Amino acid sequence: MANYGMALDYKNCINCKACEVACKEENGVQLGADKHRIWVGVKEIEGEWPLLDIISNTFLPSQCQHCENAPCQEVCPTHATYYDENGVVRVDSDKCILCSYCMVACPYDARYVDDRTMTVDKCTFCSDTRLARGETTTACQNTCPTKVRTFGDLDDPESEISELLRTREHFSLKAHIGTKPKLFYLT
Amino acid sequence: MFNKIIPHKPITVENLFKFDKTPFNLFMMTVTIILLAAFVVGVLNYLIHGHHAYGITREHPWGLMIAMYVFFVVSSTGLCIISSLGHVFKFKSFEFIGKRAIFGAIITIISGFAVIAFEIGHPVRMAIYNTISPGMTSAIWGMGVLYSVYLGLIVMEFVFLSRDDHKWSTMFGLGGLLVGLAAHSNLGAVFGFLIGRPVANGVFYPIYFILSAMITGSYLIFLMYGFRYKMKFDEHISTFLVHVARLLGLLIAILMFFEFWRFMTSIYGNVPERAASAMHALTSPEFLIGEFGLGMLIPFLIILISKAKAIKKLVYASLSGMVGIFFMRYDLVHDTLAYPMQTMKIREYQLAPTWVHYSPSWTEWAIALGALGIMLSMYYIGENFFYLDPKEHDDYFEHYKDAEGHEVEEHLITGTDANK
Ligand code: SF4
Ligand code: SF4
Repeated sequence: MANYGMALDYKNCINCKACEVACKEENGVQLGADKHRIWVGVKEIEGEWPLLDIISNTFLPSQCQHCENAPCQEVCPTHATYYDENGVVRVDSDKCILCSYCMVACPYDARYVDDRTMTVDKCTFCSDTRLARGETTTACQNTCPTKVRTFGDLDDPESEISELLRTREHFSLKAHIGTKPKLFYLT
Repeated sequence: MFNKIIPHKPITVENLFKFDKTPFNLFMMTVTIILLAAFVVGVLNYLIHGHHAYGITREHPWGLMIAMYVFFVVSSTGLCIISSLGHVFKFKSFEFIGKRAIFGAIITIISGFAVIAFEIGHPVRMAIYNTISPGMTSAIWGMGVLYSVYLGLIVMEFVFLSRDDHKWSTMFGLGGLLVGLAAHSNLGAVFGFLIGRPVANGVFYPIYFILSAMITGSYLIFLMYGFRYKMKFDEHISTFLVHVARLLGLLIAILMFFEFWRFMTSIYGNVPERAASAMHALTSPEFLIGEFGLGMLIPFLIILISKAKAIKKLVYASLSGMVGIFFMRYDLVHDTLAYPMQTMKIREYQLAPTWVHYSPSWTEWAIALGALGIMLSMYYIGENFFYLDPKEHDDYFEHYKDAEGHEVEEHLITGTDANK
């Protein structure tokens, strides 16, 4: 029983998209489903050539926030979307009726339709794959060359992520709507 | 036997094709057949290609199908509310419309279900898991359950109205009305509950849905009676339609008032997302021409200028009104989804933030408009097989024969024995 979250030292992101590739490989994401399960947002460089402000060019890796108060879970008519014992927001594809309400309700656009099962899917923090095998890392974290991602148990005060969140300033996306995301961006 | 449950005219195929071959009737027949054919073709294409046949995307997961479903169920609730003015609230001049309006409510909601069945990815699974694993916090769950109960109640109401059983029809009418209101405001809440979509989030939609349902119901009353009497209204019907027109004028005025303040409060203060979305909606031709022009202004001006007397013009204006109502439903879905969600759209792969685009595919159009064909043919069948008007308004009774050609005893027609 853990309470998984992820901290992202996003200023280290170099937009290599290795995480996207690793996620696709690990979780069998459909071909062509680009930027669906996990993606890197790009903030364009400000200024005009040649006076470019290179520092302004940042990358913002993102995926499902595994909200503690998840709108997607609240709106699901069949409990197909649920919190698992590790605090991960999951979709039970047997119960999903593809009403798409969760896709409309998610403030982070983190959900997509898997054409093979015709149900909604999204990031699971590798619950079906790596965590199920007993590992404690996610594919995206494991592969990141600049170590942007730290995945771990938020309830364990000794964990690396707890330590990071204690010592570093961080923000989360759309915190004002009260979804309590578990993706933390370190500043 | 069936006649005991609900009095009906002889149900034969021959009866179905016995209609005056006036140009207008033939035109309506052609339109209905084309629409039905479109529905079938659309559904076939959907069955082959699944959701890929639709123009919906990950960013815009709902589209025309949801809009059309809402269109139909709003019509149904509207007719139910307007008809209840007569036999539940006992407004004299509304009393005679009961059966026709409730029959309209039944067929519109069935048409709505026909549309939604091809939008929900797994409708059978929905029936199962909505029951054994109910997500009570979901407005879609509440709406689904309430609308199913509602359909049952209004069918019972229609049966008892047909049997002239006023006690039970009033009971079921009241039940249908209350459950219908609950279901319908719940449908508004499907949008109102979206905390991530500030333009939809809040109290507006659940309330507005009830108001716009009443307006839709009034437009449909005009259309049904205009069609029923081929624009030749006797005094009784004229008085009734003038009453509906007055009510309609008041309702449209309230709607315009609502919309004004909705946009004002959304835009004022320039709150991020909400103001931009509201401006985007307000300045779109769908709103200005469709919703406002066709849906509110034209009918309202006719009512205002003629002091609610120009009922024939209002029949035509109701057609424009219904087109406007269609745009209201379309905009409801599109405006809710048009603003790109932050993490993806605003910072995605160098793309400048843009509004999320959506345009329905031909399959969506075929199914959505085709469902109008389902509604029209059910209406036609109902008109041929059931007594949709009270006896004194139904010339059919004067030369009524049953399937074998015998004169039918009056008690069977009116169903008076069913009360005993
Ligand atoms: S980010 Fe979206 S999909 Fe993920 S838990 Fe939050 S609301 Fe649900
Ligand atoms: S699409 Fe599936 S997971 Fe999403 S709300 Fe509907 S039933 Fe639940």
